[in-house]
Amino acid sequence: MVDSKEIIDGLVKIVGREFVKTNSEVVAECAVDNITPMAVLFPKNTQQVSEILKFANRENLAIVPRGSGSKMSLGNPPKRLDLVVCTTRMNHMLDVDTANLTITVEAGVKFRDVQARLATEDDRCYLPLEDLVTEGDEFICSDRSHSGCFLPIDPPCSEKATMGGIVAANSGGPRRLLYNLPRDHILGVRFVAPSGEIVGAGGKTVKNVSGYDISKLMTGSIGTLGIICEMTFKLLPLPEQMETLLFSFGTFSAACDLADRIFETSLLPAAVEVMNATAFANLKINATPDFTSDGYVVAVALETFEDAVKRMATEIREMARDCGAQGDASLQNHSHLQYWMAVSSLDPILAARFSGLIKAKLNYRISEWKDIFGFAHNTLSENKLEHVISAHAGCGICTISLLMNQGGNGSMDKAVEVMGQLLKRSRDAGGNLVIQYAPSAVKKHLSMWGEPPPDFAVLKRVKEQVDPSGIMSPGRFVGGL
Amino acid sequence: MDKQELIERLKEIVGPENVLTSAMDLALYSYDASLDKATPEVVVLPNSSEEVSKVMALAYKEKIPILGRGSATNLTGGTIPVKGGIVVHFSRMNRILEIDIPNRTATVEPGVITLDLQTEVLKKGFAYQPDPASQKVSTIGGNIAENAGGPHCLKYGVTSNHIMGLELVLNDGTVVWTGGKSRDNPGYDIAGLFVGCEGTLGLVTKAILKLERAPEAVKTMLAIYDTIEDGANTVSAIIAEGIIPATLEMMDNPIMRAVEASVKAGYSLDAAAVLIIELDGMPEGMEENANKIMEICRQNNVREVKLAKDETERTVLWAGRKGAFGAVGQLYPSFLCCDGTVPRTKLPQVLSQVLEVGKKYDLTIGNVFHAGDGNLHPLIMFDERIPDQKAKVLKASSEILKLCADAGGTISGEHGVGLEKLKETSFIFCDNDLEFARGIKKAFDPDDIINPGKLIPEPVCTP
Repeated sequence: MVDSKEIIDGLVKIVGREFVKTNSEVVAECAVDNITPMAVLFPKNTQQVSEILKFANRENLAIVPRGSGSKMSLGNPPKRLDLVVCTTRMNHMLDVDTANLTITVEAGVKFRDVQARLATEDDRCYLPLEDLVTEGDEFICSDRSHSGCFLPIDPPCSEKATMGGIVAANSGGPRRLLYNLPRDHILGVRFVAPSGEIVGAGGKTVKNVSGYDISKLMTGSIGTLGIICEMTFKLLPLPEQMETLLFSFGTFSAACDLADRIFETSLLPAAVEVMNATAFANLKINATPDFTSDGYVVAVALETFEDAVKRMATEIREMARDCGAQGDASLQNHSHLQYWMAVSSLDPILAARFSGLIKAKLNYRISEWKDIFGFAHNTLSENKLEHVISAHAGCGICTISLLMNQGGNGSMDKAVEVMGQLLKRSRDAGGNLVIQYAPSAVKKHLSMWGEPPPDFAVLKRVKEQVDPSGIMSPGRFVGGL
Repeated sequence: MDKQELIERLKEIVGPENVLTSAMDLALYSYDASLDKATPEVVVLPNSSEEVSKVMALAYKEKIPILGRGSATNLTGGTIPVKGGIVVHFSRMNRILEIDIPNRTATVEPGVITLDLQTEVLKKGFAYQPDPASQKVSTIGGNIAENAGGPHCLKYGVTSNHIMGLELVLNDGTVVWTGGKSRDNPGYDIAGLFVGCEGTLGLVTKAILKLERAPEAVKTMLAIYDTIEDGANTVSAIIAEGIIPATLEMMDNPIMRAVEASVKAGYSLDAAAVLIIELDGMPEGMEENANKIMEICRQNNVREVKLAKDETERTVLWAGRKGAFGAVGQLYPSFLCCDGTVPRTKLPQVLSQVLEVGKKYDLTIGNVFHAGDGNLHPLIMFDERIPDQKAKVLKASSEILKLCADAGGTISGEHGVGLEKLKETSFIFCDNDLEFARGIKKAFDPDDIINPGKLIPEPVCTP
């Protein structure tokens, strides 16, 4: 065992005393599943990250990377943890080339700042800029590209999440129906491999088959293959018109009907989100006085040319009436942005409110969404587990949050049991179930990544090749990788 | 194991009639659409994943090089058996196994011809979007290996954006599925890594592809220019204006001449360049966008811009573009297509530099390319039989790729590195990048038997 003072001194030489935090407040905040690191490091650039990893290799120190901390609940507790490497100082936008429709940013750049930077001079943006909240000495990027384009991804925690974290988790939201996922928009990456070497792949061209597509391998690798430091994405022009249609239904089958009808047409909505009343109530949207307190809500996002939005709105409203919609509301432009911002912020709000929050993401063949939703909703209701449930219809994704507090009355055991049943049901539908939030103490009873996938042996080969000493986020990922 | 024994063992696996060994057969498998040649020891035509698995296991045990091959339309030597060994030709594994409309997927074997699949799904109102110009003959397996692009990839993304799952045969013969009909399966994006790996990590024996609704409406425009610069400036201006058409293709005069000689697409032979611009999707808003585009064309000194009146006119316009490589092939005994790609703002600059290279080496260069993607395809036309021509062409091609790399671009947008651009990888990668790639190769193929000698250059030995 090497003297920890020597280690700290070595790290101080790399990033400077000020940026090696060992005080209890910071290490406690950056603890991963209650495992406290020896130090939290704040490197200022890729080069420093490289030196940190080389040092960690020599000293056999285990590292978990961190951005703003919005995804730290994801994954198994680490097998070991010595250092947390925090990317928040790596917050530079390295190349904003809106004429080429690409942007290159460092890992610590926040998603909201990317969107703010891409806004027009009069602040037309993909996020509701004036509603964004900052903490402490943060501020929102005020430099405008005047381009009116945007990065077409829709991650949870869009106010807080960093680009490095979004890519590491390949996170998406309801509007992936139209725009797909970060893996579909990333063009290039520079990262520090576990060996400490800086590796680059891809670039800023929208097509590239020069070498392996390492950008895709790194996307969604949950910090187990290295630390992503710089990324290039392709951009899209901001939609001319944005509108959300909200419909409330008394029964689940009526809500499903609407979603199914939409998918029978060639209309191209950005999202079709079906949720229970609890989910809608937690969004705290005021524009809808006639929505019942139980039942279901369908939210349809429309983001394209004005005439196409008009046509879709007209046709979908008609379908909703035929399906027996009870309430009907329309949110345009700014309120549309506010609505989807609320959807994106729901997880952290619930996590703050419910100390025992368990959130699961189910994936399955898209045609089975009604059966999965119905099964999950019924099972949870029968077990009297209060829950938020919503499905990204057309994407094969359903998310469930169990609104529980720790130290409750045995409902945690029930929750664990129900999660097992839901996992089995998703597996039967060709998918899996990933737990995105759970109290650390409960994690050992849950299968955080569902069942190991059929290609697990391949994943293991990759991990062992890239990180032979197992210093990057050890044990956090699928099957303990 | 001697060659005769190998052949006997392969015959046991796939049946005697599906093992090719005659000198003529082997010669037919010694080339693709690139300039290199090398002869395999034996060619097998398996009929199932199980057979492929057994062939692979045999190659693994005996450490024999092995590579997969579809129609070999690839342009950089990806299917040239440089180390001999076994060529696995997927022509018999050409079944569309399932078109699953409720789940928006098609499951196919690797030997399915791209256009055949597209025709089948279109009958149900759906599209498989990646449309390489060779789609009439290219196979899905080949498209996956090379991460094929095509005109419509500007709007819809390349092959890797449309692959949901793959059945793989690994180096030791193990058969595994990665991904599937559901999205977000936890784990590394192995399917994403396999697409574009140029067949160096394993063999693909089934693929689940993503289907999308076929667009309701299409509008196709032809813009004719007196100078190439005006055409290139138009492309940059359309993208900078924030319009992403479904396609934005460019052809210059030498290509149009070649095309007119074989296809008769009705291009003006005295023009310097044409753009084929297509919009698709919902009809609402399309008219307005078409007008905006035509206005941009006019601002950039277009001689004439016209809308295709009907499907017949549209088909003719596209026949010219898609037949371009073939048309050049009819006029010149050999051609080399450089696949350099640049940020779209750099197109005008790089295009004129490419023409300078042509002048410098006294070579005819035609340009037919995916302009909206910044994906150049300078075609260097020549006659391989003339001494020293090939060496000169390779030098010019390398210089063009250097221009692209220096402009912030890359050496291949959709054709791959293969054999042809191994040296040029140094334009864009440093040793660390290549070493990491070698590690990935090693994770899948530690004995270096799967399509060896491609994609990554051998490390430079320091004494």
